[in-house]
Amino acid sequence: MKTGLTILALLFGTSAVAADINQQRAQFNYQMSCQGCHAPDGSGANAVPRMRDHVGSFLTTQAGREYLVRVPGSAVSALSDAELAEVLNWIVVEFAGNSAVEPFEPYSSLEVGRLRQQPLNEVVQYRAQLLADIASANMRE
Amino acid sequence: MKLIDGFFDRLVERQTRQLAQRSSRRGMLKTLGGLMVGAGAIPLLPVARAAAAEGPERPVEEGDPASCDYWRYCAIDGFLCSCCGGSENTCPPGTEMSPVTWIGTCRNPADGRNYVISYNDCCGKSSCGACMCQRDEGDRPPYRPDKTNDMNWCLGTTSAAYHCSTAIVVGVAFEGK
Repeated sequence: MKTGLTILALLFGTSAVAADINQQRAQFNYQMSCQGCHAPDGSGANAVPRMRDHVGSFLTTQAGREYLVRVPGSAVSALSDAELAEVLNWIVVEFAGNSAVEPFEPYSSLEVGRLRQQPLNEVVQYRAQLLADIASANMRE
Repeated sequence: MKLIDGFFDRLVERQTRQLAQRSSRRGMLKTLGGLMVGAGAIPLLPVARAAAAEGPERPVEEGDPASCDYWRYCAIDGFLCSCCGGSENTCPPGTEMSPVTWIGTCRNPADGRNYVISYNDCCGKSSCGACMCQRDEGDRPPYRPDKTNDMNWCLGTTSAAYHCSTAIVVGVAFEGK
């Protein structure tokens, strides 16, 4: 799987993303801060949103890209800006699957540090509206 | 005829002696025993998603999983499934493992390394009541909900009734920078 991703990354010129991720550190931080609810494979559970084959769809709009950082699980996590940026990039590479968008511009710690200053409150409502907006934006294209 | 008989006798004798020198009854027992023990190590029942999703390094372990001082329980707060008809990795029959859980790390005294432990609760029956174990290393107050053991983690299960807790090794802690 990882070999496959590396080959894909090399083929499609996204090796810069792969190179910036320390796999062991990113996976450890995912396990410690995300996996408890989102499950080891990102599939979520009942009310916990699924990231597998879905997380990439948020990257099709700017508001969606910002959402992944502003959602409380990210914004108020105990991770540093650099760690959070790395985990988010790792999640996108590992779990986007069918929903992956090319090219993926990786999150930087600077961008993450700025966005997490505005964490979301009414997440469920906001997310539903966001996904509706993303769906209609994609319909227009 | 006698010549042929003698030839076969010698041939069979030589083969038998060679076989006896190469193998032993103990060797046969060892192979058979290995197969029997090995087969026992292959899980026959569906195992927890937390344990199955990845293949983390299996640590060398020591200690009794039915005892509160077992290394994996460094941050547990609940009844040990090992005393309730399950194990440190599996839920007792009739209960359902919560897919939502809290995760911490514990140091394994056998190799001195820190491992990532997933404390999945088993749900769907009333409290087991056996082997209450409370060790709170790394436990945080409920304002840090993903790092607190002070709540019912039977979330995402059909029943919210708490029965007991497991402690599953899901990975090795990253200790670099």
